[in-house]
Amino acid sequence: MTIGINEFILSAGLLFLIGFMGVVLRRNTLVVYMSLELMLNAVNLALVAFSRYNQTMDGAIFVFFIMTVAAAEVAVGLAIIVMLFRKRQTISLSELNQLKG
Amino acid sequence: MDSLNALLGILFMPLLASLVIVLLGSKRSKAGPFIAIIASVGLLVLTFSLISNGMGEAVRFSWEWFHFGDHSFELGFFFDTISATMLTMIAIVGLCIAIFSLGYMSGDQAKGRFFAGLTFFMFSMLGIVLADNLVMIFVFWELVGFSSYMLIGHYFQNEEAKLASKKAFIVNRIGDFGFLLGILLTFWQFGTTNIEAIALAVGMDASTINTFIGALLICGFIGKSAQFPLHVWLPDAMAGPTPVSALIHAATMVAAGIYLLIRIDVLLAPSILTFIAYLGAFVALFAGFCAYAQNDIKRILAYSTLSQLGYMASIFGLGFPGIALFHLITHAFFKALLFLSAGAVIHACHHEQSIFKMGGLYKKMPTTTACFIIGTLALCGVYGFSGFYSKDAILIASYGAQVELFYVLVLGALMTAGYMGRLIWTAFFGKANSEKALQAHEVGFNMLLPLIVLALFSIFVGLIDYWPFALGKTILVDLDTIHHMDGYKSIHKLVVILGSAAWIVGLFGSLLFYGLGNKEDLLEKRAPSVFAFLKGRLWIDEMYSYYVNEIQGNVSNFLNFFDVVILRGILIRGGSGIVGAFGVGLRMLNVGKLNAYSIWFLFALLFIYLVASGTL
Repeated sequence: MTIGINEFILSAGLLFLIGFMGVVLRRNTLVVYMSLELMLNAVNLALVAFSRYNQTMDGAIFVFFIMTVAAAEVAVGLAIIVMLFRKRQTISLSELNQLKG
Repeated sequence: MDSLNALLGILFMPLLASLVIVLLGSKRSKAGPFIAIIASVGLLVLTFSLISNGMGEAVRFSWEWFHFGDHSFELGFFFDTISATMLTMIAIVGLCIAIFSLGYMSGDQAKGRFFAGLTFFMFSMLGIVLADNLVMIFVFWELVGFSSYMLIGHYFQNEEAKLASKKAFIVNRIGDFGFLLGILLTFWQFGTTNIEAIALAVGMDASTINTFIGALLICGFIGKSAQFPLHVWLPDAMAGPTPVSALIHAATMVAAGIYLLIRIDVLLAPSILTFIAYLGAFVALFAGFCAYAQNDIKRILAYSTLSQLGYMASIFGLGFPGIALFHLITHAFFKALLFLSAGAVIHACHHEQSIFKMGGLYKKMPTTTACFIIGTLALCGVYGFSGFYSKDAILIASYGAQVELFYVLVLGALMTAGYMGRLIWTAFFGKANSEKALQAHEVGFNMLLPLIVLALFSIFVGLIDYWPFALGKTILVDLDTIHHMDGYKSIHKLVVILGSAAWIVGLFGSLLFYGLGNKEDLLEKRAPSVFAFLKGRLWIDEMYSYYVNEIQGNVSNFLNFFDVVILRGILIRGGSGIVGAFGVGLRMLNVGKLNAYSIWFLFALLFIYLVASGTL
């Protein structure tokens, strides 16, 4: 069995769905955060696959940028979560419901 | 005193009197009548001094009221012989009515309100007479309407008076709306509303006369002078106190319409004049017929006023404004006399107004009866009385101008004598027909005095050759015209014969038909269908009532439905409802849970994808 573009897209889609379900269903902010990263990496995988399929470097270059931005985002996001825990003594999303207008 | 101060005094003295009476309040209202009388006397003195000063010269003063752009509106006096004639008449009749009211209203609870209204009415009327432009005339025109509303509704506890005052006001508003449009168009056409300036512009270029503008302007006349079809308010206005009826019917409100016509004479196209002539002749006859089916002494006089106004309008339309003015003046005196005598009778009979419940009053009230008969003879145009001179002039002029109208007017004179005969024979002769008439006694001297003065005027005011020249100039011009008409002598003879025949047949015919002091209307008994037809008065009131209740009512109901259901219900409430419901839905999305927000985010992405891909 050869591994073609379809399999890559399928696995990237599955990864994205798992990540999204994690974001939607989990209550722990850290896990939600990791799920977000999972979604990002699903996209990265798809991009690399398309890049390979098209025999161009565009998608691969895009992945570098996404990884850079994701790294910066993690730095900021983790800092926010730490601050949140210091303030509220919890990182459970079910208790972080102050966003309601 | 110079003319300007005299004019200002004449205009503002009644207003001042009115304000003082109002400020006195109800507790000190006993002084009200005297203040009104003092103001009327002052008015008369100023009028005489003004007339004796400037003999025949027109007096003009004007001030800028306000201006915008290049247009300016002015307030001003224009005092010529026509205004002088009107002013003298108003001053004399007004004083007589004020003195009469002192006795007539002695038992009234709201004397202050009455006399304040009376003087305010005089102020408004003087404003019309002295104004030099149409805008100012319109302002005072509306004030006259307002004060008539106040006075007709004096007995506001009485449902009938309340409705009558509303009716007078609303019916007048209909005419005034046309008048206002006419004034606007006049201003548009001439760039000014000054009467003299307009006359000058028309004199230079006769093509500026516009039939449409004239037709709108005479709407005001039709309303105020109670011409067909807006005559319906006048008989109902009889619900007011009798001195008010005298003031409205004789000196002021209805005269204002004729006065306006004389003022805007130059603006009226020949077709409009012809229309006025035929309209007036029709009203003269129509009102004469209506009077036969009325039992209320004041209502009979009201229809007689309508009929006489018809004469004035008719002769004005035939091109003799001077003669219209002449009849206006003589009519003012004898009709004021008739109304005040009727007031004395009503006062003596404890507010009994039906002529069939009077009877035999000549023994108890000889002076009043004599005055009433003098008024009647003047009204019927009996030779030697004032009415003869003006009616004679009207008939001669109409014979020369339009023979068929002449015959209509002669028939009108016959009707006049007939219904006045019916009134006199029934109410004053025979024997008393009710307890109230039996107890009647002559009224006091302060009420008789104005009657006697007015009776003297009713006899002698027709002798125009003896008027001060400044007053009679306009009238004499027109009288001169008819004196130089072809075959004046033979026409004059014919008119005197026909006119005399009219009153003799009318007065004595009604004596034969109705008898003396009858208890019931013999016309109603002998020819009920004719009586019912006359009582119907062409069913104008019923038509208006049908129109207002059925047609206008339904239209307004439909519009109300449209407004409530479609505009307010569906468009406005519905629109806000949709937006509101949308808002409620959006608020429900705002749950405060991060997870939920991510789901909305997904849906939004999906939505955008579907839209962008063209699936949606």
